[in-house]
Amino acid sequence: MTVSEIVANARREGRTNLTEIESKELLASAGINTTKLKIAKSREEAISLGKESGFPVVLKIHSPDIIHKSDVGGVKLGLGGEDEVGRAYDEIITSVKQSQPEARIEGIAVQHMARPGTEVIIGMTKDPQFGPVIMFGLGGVLVELLKDVSFRIVPLARRDAREMIREIKGYPLLEGYRGQEPADIAYLEEMILKVSEFVDNNSEVREIDLNPIFAYSDGAVAVDARVILEER
Amino acid sequence: MKDIRELDRIFNPQTVAVVGDKAEMGYMWLRNMSTFEGRLYSVQIDPKEIPGIEALGVKNYTSLLDIPEPIDYVLVAVPRQVTPRIIADCITKGVGGVALFSSGFAETGTEEGIRLQDIITEMARKAELKLIGPNCMGIFNPRLGIRNGFNQYYGEGGPVGFISQSGTHSIWFSEVGVLNGVKVSKSVSYGNAVVLDSTDYLEYLSQDEETEIIGIYIEGVKDGRRFFKVLRETTPHKPVIIWKGGVTDDGARATASHTGVLAESPVIWDAVIKQCGAIKVDNLEEMVDAVKALLYLKPTKGDRVGLIAMSGGQSVVVTDTFARDGLRVPTLSDESYAEFATFFNIVGSSYRNPLDISSNLGSVDLVLRMIKILGRDENVDAVVLELAMDFLARVVERGGGFLEQLLDGMVDFKERSPKPFLAILVPGSEEVAAVEARGRITERGIPCFPDFHRGANALKKVVEYHRFLTTQS
Repeated sequence: MTVSEIVANARREGRTNLTEIESKELLASAGINTTKLKIAKSREEAISLGKESGFPVVLKIHSPDIIHKSDVGGVKLGLGGEDEVGRAYDEIITSVKQSQPEARIEGIAVQHMARPGTEVIIGMTKDPQFGPVIMFGLGGVLVELLKDVSFRIVPLARRDAREMIREIKGYPLLEGYRGQEPADIAYLEEMILKVSEFVDNNSEVREIDLNPIFAYSDGAVAVDARVILEER
Repeated sequence: MKDIRELDRIFNPQTVAVVGDKAEMGYMWLRNMSTFEGRLYSVQIDPKEIPGIEALGVKNYTSLLDIPEPIDYVLVAVPRQVTPRIIADCITKGVGGVALFSSGFAETGTEEGIRLQDIITEMARKAELKLIGPNCMGIFNPRLGIRNGFNQYYGEGGPVGFISQSGTHSIWFSEVGVLNGVKVSKSVSYGNAVVLDSTDYLEYLSQDEETEIIGIYIEGVKDGRRFFKVLRETTPHKPVIIWKGGVTDDGARATASHTGVLAESPVIWDAVIKQCGAIKVDNLEEMVDAVKALLYLKPTKGDRVGLIAMSGGQSVVVTDTFARDGLRVPTLSDESYAEFATFFNIVGSSYRNPLDISSNLGSVDLVLRMIKILGRDENVDAVVLELAMDFLARVVERGGGFLEQLLDGMVDFKERSPKPFLAILVPGSEEVAAVEARGRITERGIPCFPDFHRGANALKKVVEYHRFLTTQS
């Protein structure tokens, strides 16, 4: 689907929250690397998609009504083989039906589980005065606890992407602190610039959250992604 | 950017009318404008006020429309409920622009204030009237003698443009600035900004040939995108220094990455300032210091400082302060050390950098020689001289015109050296004498600061601005 088709489809259904699949498709069209996922409508299909993408895999509930998937038991990580996938499929369906019975379940998303890397996040929100603003930070506890993030106004120049990565206090972690795998900073800069360009060209996007992104010594991949549209 | 001529008529008027000045206000506006080089008129309908106005030598009319020539700039000081009528006259007359000193509008939060503000805004917008304020002091153009306050200077202006949402800060910037060798080309106090906003003035001063540096005191902006764009276009050719008022949240709630709003505006303002290559300051002193440094210091991208202090204790503390403020205090080159070794009395002093020259203060020539060695040193990007008023007072007592001779040498060094050179004159116990001495140094074109931090901070801003410029090419 193209950007406008995805948007039109969500509008038709009266949604501003795009699903993870839709979000990733949008971002992929902007050249942003994300983990691919496919929807299984049955236990058997989940197993065959798992084999296709290569183990270990992740299963996540796919529903337009569920935003916080983990909270309803809708996510299973590190599934190493067919039996585990089958069991996880059943558990997710049972758990979601219990905790949110009214949610429409459209299937379960299957994706290859990305190799862990240094977690970073890239976000976009709209400031009432300055419009779209890009945020960069380290993922997980560091962003939540230490607020170690930097901001720039869209559109960003290359210099801005360079500076906002180096500005955060945790920057030494990205350089490979104490033997940790260093992050591909040039690739992250490129990723930030692609988000900026995407936002600049698509004014009906209200918010983007790429969280987490796994950064490697060669490249990076957004493992989870959320896009929210403007309310018209 | 817009055509500069749109606002030029207001900033460089040939005719000015003051509407509604009266004895109760001490005729403050007519007195402020008494230094105006062009033709000044008064508009006042109250017959009781007219003799007082005419006694000031100003011709009064009972209506703006009766003035027999075009009016470029109108300052309105009538009660708020009369403003719609005056605005209507300004529109009919086709004036260049109008500043409303009148207050009591939306800033009061009252229904009546908001209603009146809406009325005049709507009238001005529809007629494309250039409206400054309301609730403001309007234009200050010292060269033309248009002033906001009776103590402001006039005659010769300077190269600094100032845009201020506050009238107090606008007046104080000029009054504190001039004591620091900083003079204004044009400034504007713009209050509630219902029609013209900060961005319009920035756009104008960005293109104004008299203006080399721009300072802004801002509390909020209506169209942030446009402000961002104009600011970004301005900084590569003119430094812009921004003092943002109303920042109480230092970003504690700044990031909630997966819940709605990512950032509160204080951190966004910081990002805007940084991204645009503008310079951030937090108070009037820091604003004046930054402007002074940018105005008087030679450009440098280097952060390595050669420090001369008049005593050992000060040499340690000045080094700590510069290092804490993000500058470096390096060791010197072998050539410099070899030269110091030929003449420098190391008993009670040292020349590692920082230099403690307490036992070498005997002659002005020695001090100047040390300044020159630092100026030549390849490890040094900027030279800083600490002068302690207590010491100076003692050598001055001994006579011989120590400070005068030193100043001549400092000026000579400043003119020849490509490196920034600044003085820090600490008062010690001689506050009054220090103010006077600082004035004499500043007068000679050497920026002089009252303490180490203010000197270091101002130099740092110059370094950062010139580093920003190199990323622009």
